[in-house]
Amino acid sequence: MISEMNFLERIIYLLQQYGISYLKGAGTTLLIAIVSTAIGCIIGFLVGIVQTIPVDKKKDSAAKRGLLGFVKILLRAYVEVFRGTPMIVQAVFIYYGMSQVFHIQLGMWESAFLIVSINTGAYMAESVRGGIISVDPGQMEGAKAIGMTHVQAMSNVILPQAFRNIMPQIGNNLIINIKDTSVLSVISIVDLFFVHKSVAGALYTYFESATIVMLIYLTMTLVTSRLLNFWEKKMDGDDNYELVDVMDIGDQLRKKGGR
Amino acid sequence: MSNAETILQVSHLGKSFGKHEVLKDIDFQVRRGDVVSIIGASGSGKSTMLRCINLLETPGSGQILFHDKDITDPKINVPAYREKVGMVFQNFNLFNNMTVLENCMVGQIKVAKKDKETARAQAMKFLQKVGMEPYVNAKPRQLSGGQKQRVAIARALAMEPEILLFDEPTSALDPQMVGEVLSVMEALAREGLTMLVVTHEMAFARDVSSHVIFMADGVIAEEGTPDDIFVHPKQQQTKEFLSRFRNS
Repeated sequence: MISEMNFLERIIYLLQQYGISYLKGAGTTLLIAIVSTAIGCIIGFLVGIVQTIPVDKKKDSAAKRGLLGFVKILLRAYVEVFRGTPMIVQAVFIYYGMSQVFHIQLGMWESAFLIVSINTGAYMAESVRGGIISVDPGQMEGAKAIGMTHVQAMSNVILPQAFRNIMPQIGNNLIINIKDTSVLSVISIVDLFFVHKSVAGALYTYFESATIVMLIYLTMTLVTSRLLNFWEKKMDGDDNYELVDVMDIGDQLRKKGGR
Repeated sequence: MSNAETILQVSHLGKSFGKHEVLKDIDFQVRRGDVVSIIGASGSGKSTMLRCINLLETPGSGQILFHDKDITDPKINVPAYREKVGMVFQNFNLFNNMTVLENCMVGQIKVAKKDKETARAQAMKFLQKVGMEPYVNAKPRQLSGGQKQRVAIARALAMEPEILLFDEPTSALDPQMVGEVLSVMEALAREGLTMLVVTHEMAFARDVSSHVIFMADGVIAEEGTPDDIFVHPKQQQTKEFLSRFRNS
């Protein structure tokens, strides 16, 4: 009977039959994208912060410098490996490969969050490093000049500014993740794309189902990008500021006028 | 110079960037209440010397004694030292992510571990002194250069430093804003704040400071009272340097 319907009727039919499934799939997609972007940001910040720790040849001990150097090389390798390989390959490597060779069987959800998080982390590490470096060096000097330690200067002055600088990249990563989680269907995560494959496979409605799925993805990314823009504007604060009436002159005038 | 206690004693200070020797055998001292101006052509090493004193540059050789303690010793607690030695920069370096008031409070709270109310009162006191108290809620990007520099001075003062270093504090300002910053500095000098000022403002060096150091090519070419330097300079290069300013 579905073969007798026209395009619109088929879409309506799919929505009636599988609307809930599509929405659930979209929910899964959003959940993995948002949580993994957040975890990825934390990873990215940690890696970026460690990579920008200054080394003082005169003051730091050889052991400390050696350890820091070693950690920096490890982090560098992490960034290069996960930026330089496709996420779909990482997914099969971790989900199927690890169980076959090392007998480590991660659940599919754990694998999903892990893969997208460390992937985002690798990209964010570079953004964070760039964000930290792009803050005017004078800011660090200003902080040091009033007696702040490196940690205090980073947490109070540099990182808040770096965070604002890389907000567009965080948003970008979130949008990329909303789309790219679709590769997780390869490890049987029932995300939006997996729902599409099932529906299309059962009813041979590739075009109609893909249309629905495209529209849902587009809606999610557009809304996300709007929300992030709004958040960025909010972070910048007011363009205006109020002069503070120190002497309470305004108050005195108002009282006089009232009498 | 007065007979007050010596706060800062610089001896045989040297510094090189690669093969380029920017400071050679610098010797001088600052006593409590002194206002020392450091003048000289661009590239003579004035700013590098000041940055060495605050350890923003690592001194190459020699000693810098702060209350008889050598701060070039690697074991010294650098942040604790810097807390007592304030610095005002050419480019202000106000924290862009904070309001004017927060700029003046953050060091007191995070570094000096004061409670918020005490820090706020202290910040307001010094913002009032530099005439910036109406702008407490403004962000640095909303202020003019002169206003930023006055806030930067208040931020440094709020830490109650024993000595305040000024690194060409008016060089990045439009001519009409130079005056507002200089008058704040003059008032501080009159109150007895110990100041070490790298400057191109000859009138300030002549009229406000108690001691003037003239630097050329990384060495102290001549030093003395403002009268010694500006009225009776002995060295030929001092005379030449000053004549360029008189003519302009």
